[in-house]
Amino acid sequence: MPAQPIPAQFKRETHTVNGVKTVVLTAGKGEPLVFLHGAGIWHGLNFTLPWTEKFRVIVPFHPGFAESGDDPAMNDMHDYVMHYLDLFDALGIAKTRLVGFSLGGWMAAKFAAEQGHRVERLVLVAPAGLRGKERPKGDVLSLPPEQIPSLLVSNFDVIKPYLPENPKDLDFMGERYREGGTLARLLWEHPYDTKLPRYLHRLTMPTLLAWGEDDKLLPMQTAELWRRHLPKAEFKTFKGAGHLVLDENREAVDAVARFLS
Amino acid sequence: MAGNARFDFIHFMHYVHLPENQKEFRSLWVDFPNKYFDPEKGHSLYQRYLSELVLADTLGFDAIVVNEHHNTAYSLMPAPNLIAASLIPQVRNAKICVWGTPPNLEYPNRLAEEYAMLDVLSQGRLEVAFPLGTGMEYWSNPINPSTARARYRESIDIILQAWTQDGPTTYYGDFYTYRYLNPWPRPMQKPHPPCYIVGTGSPETIDIAAQLGFGYASVFVTKQRARELNEKLRRTAAEHGHHIRPEQLPLQVITYVAETEQKARDEGIDHIRFFFEDALRTTPTFLAPPGYLSVEQLKMRAALADKLHGAFNFDNVNESFFVAVGTADQVVEKLEQWGEQMGTNHFVMLAAPGNMPNWKVVKNLNLIAQDVIPRVRVGAPYERRVAAE
Repeated sequence: MPAQPIPAQFKRETHTVNGVKTVVLTAGKGEPLVFLHGAGIWHGLNFTLPWTEKFRVIVPFHPGFAESGDDPAMNDMHDYVMHYLDLFDALGIAKTRLVGFSLGGWMAAKFAAEQGHRVERLVLVAPAGLRGKERPKGDVLSLPPEQIPSLLVSNFDVIKPYLPENPKDLDFMGERYREGGTLARLLWEHPYDTKLPRYLHRLTMPTLLAWGEDDKLLPMQTAELWRRHLPKAEFKTFKGAGHLVLDENREAVDAVARFLS
Repeated sequence: MAGNARFDFIHFMHYVHLPENQKEFRSLWVDFPNKYFDPEKGHSLYQRYLSELVLADTLGFDAIVVNEHHNTAYSLMPAPNLIAASLIPQVRNAKICVWGTPPNLEYPNRLAEEYAMLDVLSQGRLEVAFPLGTGMEYWSNPINPSTARARYRESIDIILQAWTQDGPTTYYGDFYTYRYLNPWPRPMQKPHPPCYIVGTGSPETIDIAAQLGFGYASVFVTKQRARELNEKLRRTAAEHGHHIRPEQLPLQVITYVAETEQKARDEGIDHIRFFFEDALRTTPTFLAPPGYLSVEQLKMRAALADKLHGAFNFDNVNESFFVAVGTADQVVEKLEQWGEQMGTNHFVMLAAPGNMPNWKVVKNLNLIAQDVIPRVRVGAPYERRVAAE
């Protein structure tokens, strides 16, 4: 049995947002901190626990991922921005600290560019969404699923407990395939957003850009692209950490907490 | 066999001159390096394969069949309409079947135009099939697999509208907008050339065939599954007010006929092995790009994939699929039995399997034409019977 990815501290609520079943996890007390996860959350949420000591941590599952429902009509990142506008209204969140990782980082950047007045402080952790010159390794759609886990981390032991023992586990395979379909709807044509750079100047809120130095999926060159478009953002890199920098390096988790305090 | 049987010859046109180390490649599709394509050898293969298709017509086959695949040594036909066009002047009697271009990989008006051209050029001998396209085609073309089915459905609607309604008409869809849908030429056959859906049995493609009253050819499914699919199509089509005729259910049979059963096996099996073990070799990821299948279908196919794309075992293949390797008597018996079970009289002879050399293909086609077809086909050939109706 793979390890339980969701810590027991999290409360689970189900909302219907514009017709889409949306499961929202919440833990901790204080000002809201919304975490937008990457293109899969099977590797768990244990890294968020230190944040719950200071904040009310809210982790919604994106439509088409984990416990949330599917909506084939959501085929553009803007649909997710609109989805989160609806959800934040439903949760009574007027303004929030926003942390986005990977696909969720792209989502968070787009949300903040369009709805800057609702974002107090922004953290982009190894965000996807920009087109690099090198062949985009970050195009997870072109990777055989069995190769993806080892590209996510510097130290495989960090995620091993969350993977099924049998690599051909049909249920795990099916869940990942379903999430791959969600990703294909979003980014088959372009695994990046050609318009995003045009609007990144709108990220005027305090912004932290965090990256793992051993990121094999979105290597450090990608970070340089973001820095060029976000000259005022704070930039921190973390040793001994791959793409899942928050899972691998506790310092990264603490740096995010400090930045948001 | 009751009534008239129809015999088609299907050619896949494999590129057979593979490098010595070809087994080291996990797939001969999608990413198999195209530096291994030698145009001189390709030219000879085209000459040879076209001659085999023409021979089938000369020998009295009712139809010749070509199809489309991309980025692969499996097929030299990324543009099957070019092959069909080059065959029309030489193939004088047989129907020309393009089974076919995935309509969502091409602008639908352009496909309607090309098929109409072929129908007019051949004086109404064209038949077309609308495949969804294998998963591999979506890695090779810029079409999103997650909208493949919706785009496929819309494309078929546009093609049928172009063929059946006097233009100019308009079409405002999810994927395409046509302000003037008015293609020239229009097909010779009315209301349009006979159409089939080709599929591996997903419920969606069966439903489309049932709604439109099209034929359905299941490919790469087991005998048992093919039988269920035919039954399902007949039943579902009836709900839509369509009666599916036996000839609308083409049955693809890997066939090799020789003087004795042993000789047929000795001469045929290695090439059938090449077909399954090499030509069809690909990866699970290439077979199922994200969003292309439902999660249920993905899980179901994980098992069959091993059977189809795994290590070759002739007895397993012979047991699972429609394979007729033996004497003419044995092949006749199998075809009659399968025709009965499947409710069809339409046989698509996969008579040039794998890397079979020309002499065996010629021998095979001759023996099928002389010793199999006349015994299964009662009365006049299919072509003449239809013409007389």
